[in-house]
Amino acid sequence: MSDLVLSQPAPLAIPRGNSKTGLRIVQTVCIFIIALVMISPLFMLLIASLKDDRFRILADMGSFRAFWVSEPTLSNYREIANFSGELAYGRYLVNSLVILVVTVVSGLIINSMAGFVLAWGTLRGKAILLALVVALYVIPQESIIMPLVVMMSRAGLTDTFAVQILPWVASPLYVFLFYQFFAQLPKELYEAAEMDGASAFRIYRSIYMPLSLPALATVSILMGIESWNQYLWPTLVTQTDYARPISVAIATFFGQDSIYWDRAMAASVLMMIPVLILYLAFQRWFVSSFVGSAVKG
Amino acid sequence: MTLQETSAAALPRPARRRDRQRFWQEVAMIAPAVLLLAVFLITPFLLSFWTAMTNQPLVPRPTPVRFVGFLNFQRVFTDPLFWTSLWNVTRFTVWVLPVQCGIAFLTALLLHQKLPMQNVLRGMFFLPAITSMVVVCVIWGTLFQYPSGPLNQIVGFLSGGMIQPIDWLGDPNWAMFSIVLLSAWQAYGFQMIIYLAGLQGIPEELYDAARIDGASALRRFWHVTMPGLRPTHVFVLVITTIQAFKLYTQVAILTQGGPKESTETVVHYMVRAGFEEQKLGYASAVSVILFVIVLLIALLQRKLLRRFDV
Repeated sequence: MSDLVLSQPAPLAIPRGNSKTGLRIVQTVCIFIIALVMISPLFMLLIASLKDDRFRILADMGSFRAFWVSEPTLSNYREIANFSGELAYGRYLVNSLVILVVTVVSGLIINSMAGFVLAWGTLRGKAILLALVVALYVIPQESIIMPLVVMMSRAGLTDTFAVQILPWVASPLYVFLFYQFFAQLPKELYEAAEMDGASAFRIYRSIYMPLSLPALATVSILMGIESWNQYLWPTLVTQTDYARPISVAIATFFGQDSIYWDRAMAASVLMMIPVLILYLAFQRWFVSSFVGSAVKG
Repeated sequence: MTLQETSAAALPRPARRRDRQRFWQEVAMIAPAVLLLAVFLITPFLLSFWTAMTNQPLVPRPTPVRFVGFLNFQRVFTDPLFWTSLWNVTRFTVWVLPVQCGIAFLTALLLHQKLPMQNVLRGMFFLPAITSMVVVCVIWGTLFQYPSGPLNQIVGFLSGGMIQPIDWLGDPNWAMFSIVLLSAWQAYGFQMIIYLAGLQGIPEELYDAARIDGASALRRFWHVTMPGLRPTHVFVLVITTIQAFKLYTQVAILTQGGPKESTETVVHYMVRAGFEEQKLGYASAVSVILFVIVLLIALLQRKLLRRFDV
């Protein structure tokens, strides 16, 4: 996958040479303007969340004041940064983070172990298991949730963290991505370790895992985004505050009679911050991981 | 590997013990994933076929669950609202494909060149793709405000007041189009990245050769770029189509299928049948139908890709 990292693109149809420098500058400025237009809704969200008057927010929306705040205030954030009560958005945010971290960490371990055995193990039914994993990949989440909700409520798991984590830890896609990554590593690596008397688990842990940083990054990013953005499933299995994730909590703003845009916007910005931090920290990996998920053709 | 397996009997004892130890280690390593997939994916998947043939309600009742054969499917296929929802997602797909893939393709072409601050630019274009759909709904819910929201102001300004304010989410003629707009904006970044990777996969020598032959930029685009991107196009179209058929979150948050069922989708229809009307068997029948649709699209993709021998 590392060869897909988009760092050095070839020029497409751009004339080279110094005589065209002026054109290049104009072109770059144009692309920047298009980019700014594309992300202007996000900028507007940030600005609006810093205004404390909800009528003002709506009134400003139609003009350039949507992109300017004269007296920024954090009052909207203060209103929702609670851990109990009606607007316990601090709690929802923490809930989502807990669900994300547990899902990703356990998912990395479980899927990579399975991928490793499928790539280098000696189990008899290996080929069949691999074919099964590929076949299972086609099943969309939406077409299993009906019976799954009933299974979970019979098991008494409604309104827990477990119900939001367990079903999505093991995934055909991630098992396959790990399998694919491990399988492309040289065979000599495995044989040498085996000669030295290392056990299968030891080889996995001490040799393959340290080498699989790109695969680990890809899967954590994809799993993290997936978990963070879950909406349909948590609305079906959470009824109380206890384990409610922030996505569901923000959506409930829309169900109320009066729409609290100001609070909804502050909560939305809160929801974006963790992803944004991750994105800025691992930008290179983000891009390659999305391409990595595209191998499934 | 097979060599060891077959000659295990001939090996001295320590080697055999090691083989057995390795067998159990491998089983232990693959077991968690197999177990979780069996419980949380295969079981509900098989159950959905069974449930679809029963009259099972969501909450258990004293009356026993009856096997009803294909009655649920028959009912689904005779419900006009189901056909409306299927028609709506088809409409959505037909609109979102050109809009979303078009934006993705154009931005990829723009970004596929040496630019100053390249990573910053890419990051900006990619930002909507990592924004949660719920947040996107909050943003576009405000943009769509009627009658004086930002979008209406822009339309009014550009048309010089000729076009009356549009009730984006409240007008049955516009609601689905509005959902298309926000969906395309949220998701184009993903396809853009795939196009960028596709563009990079085209060997630079092909462009050089075309240049030597005196091909213009436009001709190079038609005869080098486009054929080189064929598998990418197929892939992008198929994943976008599959995603489009699963349309749910935007509709559930912003329109609840309305106005006048103009944004009712298959998944929303299924969730409503299962959880508002509590007809689990009926909803399972819809989920089976959804699976068949997704499967057909995936098979079509495989066939198309094979035709372009990739």
